Parts: sequence; C-alpha cells; structure tokens
Amino acid sequence: MAPENGELPSYSVCGCIEHVDDVAGYAPENDIKDLGMLLSILSFMPDFVLQWFVKAMNDSHQKNGGLSDLFRMLDFGIKGIILGTYYSGKTGKNYNGKSPLELIGFSINRIES
Amino acid sequence: MYDFVVVGSGSSGGTVAHNLHEAGAKIVLLEAGKFFRKDTFPKTEMDYSAQLFWGGGLEFDSQARTAFLRAKCVGGTTIVNQCLMDRFDDVAFDDWKQRSGVDFLSVAKMLPFYEKIEAKMKLHTFEKEETKRNAQLFTAACDKLGHKWKYLRRGMSDCKVEEGNDCIGCLGGCFRDSKQSSLVYSVQVAEQKGLEIRAEFEVEKIEHFADHVLIHGFQNKIKQEIKTKKVVIAAGSFGTTQLMLKSGFKAKLPALGKGFCQHPQFMLFGVFDIPVDAHKANFQTVGSDDPNFRKQGFKLENVFAQPISVGMLFRTYGKQHQDIMKKYRYMSCIEVAVRDQPEGGEISIDKKGKLIVTKTLTEQDKRRRDTGLATIKNIFSAQGAKEVVDSPFYFGLHLMGGCSIGVDEQKSVVNPQFQVHGHKNIYIADTSIYPSAPGINPSLTAATLSQKMSEELIKS
Repeated sequence: MAPENGELPSYSVCGCIEHVDDVAGYAPENDIKDLGMLLSILSFMPDFVLQWFVKAMNDSHQKNGGLSDLFRMLDFGIKGIILGTYYSGKTGKNYNGKSPLELIGFSINRIES
Repeated sequence: MYDFVVVGSGSSGGTVAHNLHEAGAKIVLLEAGKFFRKDTFPKTEMDYSAQLFWGGGLEFDSQARTAFLRAKCVGGTTIVNQCLMDRFDDVAFDDWKQRSGVDFLSVAKMLPFYEKIEAKMKLHTFEKEETKRNAQLFTAACDKLGHKWKYLRRGMSDCKVEEGNDCIGCLGGCFRDSKQSSLVYSVQVAEQKGLEIRAEFEVEKIEHFADHVLIHGFQNKIKQEIKTKKVVIAAGSFGTTQLMLKSGFKAKLPALGKGFCQHPQFMLFGVFDIPVDAHKANFQTVGSDDPNFRKQGFKLENVFAQPISVGMLFRTYGKQHQDIMKKYRYMSCIEVAVRDQPEGGEISIDKKGKLIVTKTLTEQDKRRRDTGLATIKNIFSAQGAKEVVDSPFYFGLHLMGGCSIGVDEQKSVVNPQFQVHGHKNIYIADTSIYPSAPGINPSLTAATLSQKMSEELIKS
C-alpha cells in the first residue's frame, strides 16, 4: 500500500504503525475488532491472495451488490488506517528521516490567539 | 425538573440553548461529544479526524458508496465545516413550501430571523486581495467560459491570514475562535452567562408524557435520567432521527427516517506545472453563482483538503498513489455539490439501534452530477491543467432530512410549530426537518429556523 518510492520511505521503514492507536482508538470497538481479525488472517496469506484482495477492493467501486459493498467498506477502513498514519506527520522512534508529510511539501502555519 | 433539555449543540442546538437560557428558562444542553476549546482541539489531521467525528472519522452509507462527515463535539458540525453563511433563495423555499404546506417558509417571512441570527455572528465576504492561486485559477477559467461566480461569505473574524495563518487548519476546530462556529457565537456566550452544559452525554431514549419528558442516557458510561417539561432535539439529521427511532416513534410517525438528502459532493483535482499551494492562507474564498447551474441542480465549490483526506479520495494504491500525492502542492480542486432528491435516501436502525443510512442516487441526481463533473473538466482544461484526477468516492457533509416538517402527519414528523406530531413536549428544528435539499449550505438556515422556534417557545 505504501512502498519505498524515491524519497518517500516505505510504510514499515518510517514506523508510523507505532501511532495506529491514535487512529483506531476512536473507531467503534466492533469495527476495529473485525478489521483486526481480518488483517491477522491476511498476514498469513501468500502474496497472490493479497494481490487479489487489493484488486477486489479497487474493483469494488465499479460493481454493485454481492461482496462489493463489503470490499468498498474494507477499502475505506484499510486506507483510512494506512493513509491516516502514513501522512500523519508522525514517525517511529527508530526513523530519523523526514516524514512523508514533509516530503510531499505539506506544512501549515498556525497563529494562535 | 428542567424547563427545557436541548440535545445537541450545533448550529440549531446552540442557538436554542442560548436563546432559552437568556430568556431565563431552566435549561441544560446535552452533547454526546467532548468539549474541546480553541486551545485543546487536536492539532493534526490524523488526530482531529479520529477524535472529532462520529465513527472515528469513518461513517458510510449501507453500500459504502459515500462517506459522511459528522462531527461529535460541542459545537457539532459547525466545528469542522467552513462556516459559509448563505441564506436560502426562492427556489429552495418554494420547493419546501410546496412539499410541506408550511406557510412561513419563504424568503420574506424568514428575513427577520435571518437578520437576528446574522447579528449574533461576525460575517465576512471575501475580496479579490484575499484570494490565492487556487481561487484565481477558478475565477479566470469561469470568466473565460462565461460561468458566473461569487466571493463567498463566511462566519469569521480576525483570522490573521495576513500574518501567515493557514485557515485550512480550522477544519479540525479553529484554534483562535475566529471561525464563527456555534461554539463561538452561541454556546460559549451562553456558558459565560451560566448555561449548564453536559458534554459526553449520549441520549439513548426519550419518553413523552402529558406534562413532561424523560430523557434516558449515559454520561461517561454512567446511566442518567433527566426529567424536563419539554425537550428540543437538535442532534442533526442522523442523531435526531436515530434517537426518535430508538425511542419507538416510528409506529406513530410513518414519515420518520424518510427523505434523507446530503448534497453529495464529488471532487476532481487538476494538476499543474507550478505549485498551487491550495492549502495555504484563506483556503475557500470563491464559488459558483451561475443561474444556469442553479437551474440544473448543482453548484461548484473551489475547495481543498489536508493530505489524508485527499489521499483517501484517490482510487489507486502503492507507488501510483504516492506519485499522485507527491503532486499535492501542485493540485487545484473543484467539487460539484448536487441538489439531490430526498426520495433516494432513508435513515433507519438495526435491532441494536445502530444507524443504517440508505442513499441511492436517483437518475436525476446522476444527471446533475455528470453535468457538474463535465463542467469542472472544462474549467480545468481552460485553466491549463496538465492532468485531471478523479475519485470513486463521494461524501456528505450537509446531512438533512429524516424528520421533515409539514402539515400532513402521514408525510412529515414535525408540525409548523416545530412540535413532533401528536407529542406536544418534543420539538425539533435542526437540519433533520428539511423537506428537501436546498442546494445551498444549510447551516445558517438551521440556526435561523431555531431562532424562530426559540422565539415562539419563549412567547408560549
């Protein structure tokens, strides 16, 4: 979902997974439990199954009914957690480089009162 | 016993609570979300998306086609929207009047209430000098193609943009109380005068009796019961409708949950050779103002978002996705907001009381969407965009309907006095009472209707 790409570090290298609870901690308990179970199962699957799974999520937007509703929901959920942490500006303890947020040139100024 | 309990603290609940408290009523304002202040709002997009929204920022319709953005905090969705303050026009009110049979729904009859609510907030209409490249690209292309546009009117004051402040940050709560959310112009004002506010109080059920109402709920997971003479439910289209359904009113009110609409918003991104930096300074200053678009049932907004939200909209993964995100600073964004038909939407609950939102785009909605998207593509082409990136997702920030106002008990939930049909001690005045989508930002009118309702409550 977020490999190394030029100056952008891979998801695992930048260590943003350490902040996953900052995203998942506020979602409904049952949703997170279900998602966690699914990700645990997927972690044991071979690459070709994962590739099929990602393709099924992507293709679900062009389909109606059947499992497509479920795959679209998973697409939202998985993207939400991965992109939410990857572009959060937060990185892991062992990562010393710039965050993906800095590398795409995002910064905002806050003038607080 | 309280005179009034107000459930929800957004544009409607904040207004009602402020007015009733000022008039001397014994009142408590209940809010399911936390009480954040300007100095305690979460600072990053990740943190505010997770902490300020229902569902931790992920709430969808039953088919997972559309994402809903519904805030859960004191101030409600006015905390996370842009506080664009537009009055409704004849097109919107005429449709409402025709659908509801309610006589006061007209520009002329609502005018005094608009004026009163506007006097409570600080409003600003942008000028040319305040626009940046994102807006300048939009207006130049509109001029070239003959589309009318306008500078937007926003609830804001002293935003310090000229000193370098970037207003996109206030989509996670304004950290200087400049944005005119209901927290700023009503809730905190009333709080200073002694209004009782109970945050993190989730109302589970209401029971109606001849001379009082019982409110059942939980505050910080501790069971609570509150007795009041009257209750004003102002928890928004989803919250109010869900509470009414959980309280068992569907059997007596067949229209409950019907007519959900949301101005479905579809975003397109144009990519340019030199940076646009659409996230800097004033971030939304202009929008379409074209009578032809109004007739065709859509409007265009010159918007943008922070990187996580932008990333969520793209259909790709991996390197392809990252390659688009690397162009973040070079992107301009225009969205089409469709004036959707209420017939395509319904709010219901499952056996556990969990919200189920069904939203199907009607053929007319799809035509309006497609016309709007084609118009945006022409605008990007006229701007000289090198690439246009679309999204399979759309989202709803203007959640309306479910407890429609009207004279017919079979087709509506609330009577012209804002009372639930057959239940004289329960009132509703938030966006859930909207009989249809106005095609105009709904927040100001929700506050205005609540101004009218609270004046009538005070008189009675």
